Amino acid sequence: MVAPVVGFQALFAMSDSFTLPLRPVVEREDNPDTLPVEIAQIAEHWGSFRDVNEDILQAKIREERENDGLQDTENDDQETSDIDTTERIEQLYKKRNEITQFAVQSHMEALFALDFISLLLSKNAPRQAETSISAYLKQVAPLGSLDAEAVNPPPRSESATKDISTVSRGWRIQNFNSASSKLLKAASRLETEVSSESRYWNEVLAVKDKGWKICRLPRERQALGVQYGFLEATPVFRDRGLASLRRSEDGSLILDKGLIPSGVRFVRVRVRQGSIITSSTKPPAATSDNAESVEQRILQARDSVFEEELFHELVREARSMASCGVTTRLNLIQVPASDDTEILLDLVDANDESLEADQNSTEADRLLADGLAHSMRILLAFAHRQNLRRRTQVPPPLTSKKRLTPEYHLLRPVLAYFQHLVQLRWLNSFLQDITNVFRLSGLEIPKLDINAFTNKTSPRPSPSTPTVEALVQKFLMPVESVFQGNLTGQNSFKITIRTNLSAAPFGTHYDVSFNFPSFSDLKSPGPIGLRDEVESAITHALLLEVISRVSSEELPTEKKSPDGVSKSWDAIYPHLGELLLSGSSSSSSKYKKMKVNLSRHDLSLSTYFVRGVDGFGRGTGEERTHSEPNTWTSPQQSTESTNGHTSMMEFVISEGTD
Amino acid sequence: MHELSLFASVPDHQHHELLQQLAGLTAMQPRHALERRLIFKAYRAPGQTAVRTGGSQDVQAGDMQKLNKMLNGGMFYTQVVGPVSEADFGSNPAPDHDTQMAGMDGADDSKSSPKVQLSSSYDYDQQPWKLEFRDIPEAGTRSAVTARVMASATLPRGDIAPSMNAWGYRFVTEYVVEGDIFIHNDITLFLHRVLHYPVSQQQGPSLPRQTLPAFKEMETQMQSMKASQATMGYVLQAFINVQDGSNQETMKTASQHLFGLREQLKSAVKLEQADRLSLDTRVKDRGGQR
Repeated sequence: MVAPVVGFQALFAMSDSFTLPLRPVVEREDNPDTLPVEIAQIAEHWGSFRDVNEDILQAKIREERENDGLQDTENDDQETSDIDTTERIEQLYKKRNEITQFAVQSHMEALFALDFISLLLSKNAPRQAETSISAYLKQVAPLGSLDAEAVNPPPRSESATKDISTVSRGWRIQNFNSASSKLLKAASRLETEVSSESRYWNEVLAVKDKGWKICRLPRERQALGVQYGFLEATPVFRDRGLASLRRSEDGSLILDKGLIPSGVRFVRVRVRQGSIITSSTKPPAATSDNAESVEQRILQARDSVFEEELFHELVREARSMASCGVTTRLNLIQVPASDDTEILLDLVDANDESLEADQNSTEADRLLADGLAHSMRILLAFAHRQNLRRRTQVPPPLTSKKRLTPEYHLLRPVLAYFQHLVQLRWLNSFLQDITNVFRLSGLEIPKLDINAFTNKTSPRPSPSTPTVEALVQKFLMPVESVFQGNLTGQNSFKITIRTNLSAAPFGTHYDVSFNFPSFSDLKSPGPIGLRDEVESAITHALLLEVISRVSSEELPTEKKSPDGVSKSWDAIYPHLGELLLSGSSSSSSKYKKMKVNLSRHDLSLSTYFVRGVDGFGRGTGEERTHSEPNTWTSPQQSTESTNGHTSMMEFVISEGTD
Repeated sequence: MHELSLFASVPDHQHHELLQQLAGLTAMQPRHALERRLIFKAYRAPGQTAVRTGGSQDVQAGDMQKLNKMLNGGMFYTQVVGPVSEADFGSNPAPDHDTQMAGMDGADDSKSSPKVQLSSSYDYDQQPWKLEFRDIPEAGTRSAVTARVMASATLPRGDIAPSMNAWGYRFVTEYVVEGDIFIHNDITLFLHRVLHYPVSQQQGPSLPRQTLPAFKEMETQMQSMKASQATMGYVLQAFINVQDGSNQETMKTASQHLFGLREQLKSAVKLEQADRLSLDTRVKDRGGQR
């Protein structure tokens, strides 16, 4: 295709240097018409000069002027009448009638001529002529009744032959002229055509050199198209990823996307805290300044189709996620991220001026929105890759059931992350609170080992999976975090939080396991779905920790009991937080008991005397003495001191030695 | 399950070009496939057909009828297909290994045997197998595709000959299929050629090979065979599997898809129905086996 173009260009480069003598050379006649001849002509046309006078000439001039004027007014009339449509239709019919009449007439004439010639020929070739002669003529005139003979025309006069030769020469010149002008016009037209064509092809080649796929349009075999869409997208969007490359009048390339609107659109992510929108993503900035270049427009088209597909898939997924609190409107998806934070997703025009970023955006929210926007796009690209993988697998046997394309995982991993983050924060704050209680009570703080966002369950990716895909695949795994708490001695607890929105069981689950060698009857609660249960389980474990510390505390021995038994706090009902002071005078029926209460915000110990210890039962069986119980509560702040005891252990010791 | 297919023979010189064309059509890279194919032949052990027949008085139970039908019905050749990779083939020709190996039983020997080529990582014990059964194509179908009943089942890994023997199949021969797979919507396109093992001294190996000869050697074998048979080349098979062969609608859709592909590939290759009798898998000499 390029070679002939170059050929033409060479031709035209040559034509600049010398002009082809296409036009006939008009010879200036040496002897123009002599005056007597001209006078004779005028006399022939206008009559004798003798009759010419001023009046006649004036009248002539006026007449001509009026004629012109009349024509003008007629034209005006026509223009005004043009507006009348009914008249126009009438005219149209009239003209059509005329055309058909002319056609009929010419047809008749042609038939007459045919008859005539046939009749003439029937003299010499009756068989042949008979086929073309009309039936009517056959009836009227017998065959062969007309004959022709060549006759010698009388010799023409010399002037006549000269006239004929002049006229024919004139005709020839005229014909040459028109032919040459036609040729030149064609040549110049070709030249512009060639230049615009070569410009078009150069631009097409430039597009191709950029790496775009150029192909013939499937529906329109003559036209070229550029494929910019994503082959693995949903068929609707895959087919939209093809635009034809048309040529404008001057040869520049036009990207013709058909009926698809040309605006640049993108999926906007907004973060809403309460009722205030705190952050919103901005449209992708144009990568180069000349936004009108074909390359740029192809890029724009590609981005638009990607964004529209993204939104389409997001809506599709959001509809199936109503159980997670995701709501969809016509052009809006609302995703609850945490208690008061909401993510809004919508498809907007990038050139919309009203999309100015809010001033009250915070850095964290901006990061959140940007991160979300990026991750959604990465996940869509990943879904495309998965589609390719699925497409190139050997298909399952054909059934009458239609294969459904599952929704892509775009929102679910994101939402799982948010949900996990919320749970993680809650657990973290709870553990902070409760260790704070420990700290204020002067107890040794449990060592916490937090291992957030570890996806232990991710299986080893197969070696055939590209690194990129293996990387993204991790996002689709359930999110997992592990809290490991090491207490004194061998005691420890472990909390695993797992959030999974891609497969059942949906939602966040806690897996709490205890390892308390000193309390062998303590069972791990196993998987828990509710926060409150987790809280009470952990509190219970820490209560046991407090009790084991109290019971292991050595009481001072200087005040020995008469029978020489050292006193200590025995955990009689550790799960209820009850301890009994052993070694106290067994003869008296008064026993000293301690009750430990641990909650998220405080720790309280109270001691009181009971008359009898039944060994089981509590409250109902035990008989408290009427004396006021001694109580110690953990201080709210570290400086505060209650009951004159600064730490819990002092209270324990003092109560034990009383 | 039914398999609907169209075939085309592709000469060697067109192979590369067609690969490109198919890659363009299906918008995917070809997936290279190497398959060992073992041919087994059903045989009828003497005395096994002694299910009571002819007793017209007592009505045969449904199960009995079924069993009778199975035992006395037609017998077929079946194929056992095992995917291998090019690395499984030995790099050096080892002409008389196969015969030795064939004599030994158990792959432990072959593992410990120093004669086994170290360059080849082929582990016969871990070779996965799949049983593929193909019936003779249906006769008298009006549509111009080859339709046949098919079934496949996964078999245990490793040495398959004893199991197959137990099921009443005798090993006949084996060959290797090498080719590329493309997927075009529902249609699988398999452009492949058949490679034969180098002829060994022993006439007709009675057991499947436990080692594979060098791939190059097989290709040269191919070349030498081609000299004698000018028609050896590649075969393009386009097929769709249909779950329910009795469902006319899906069968029709499937064949229409195939016809659509035939139209698309018209300028490249001529896909057509295969000769029915050339795909006959029935065991003919029933009398001889008794």
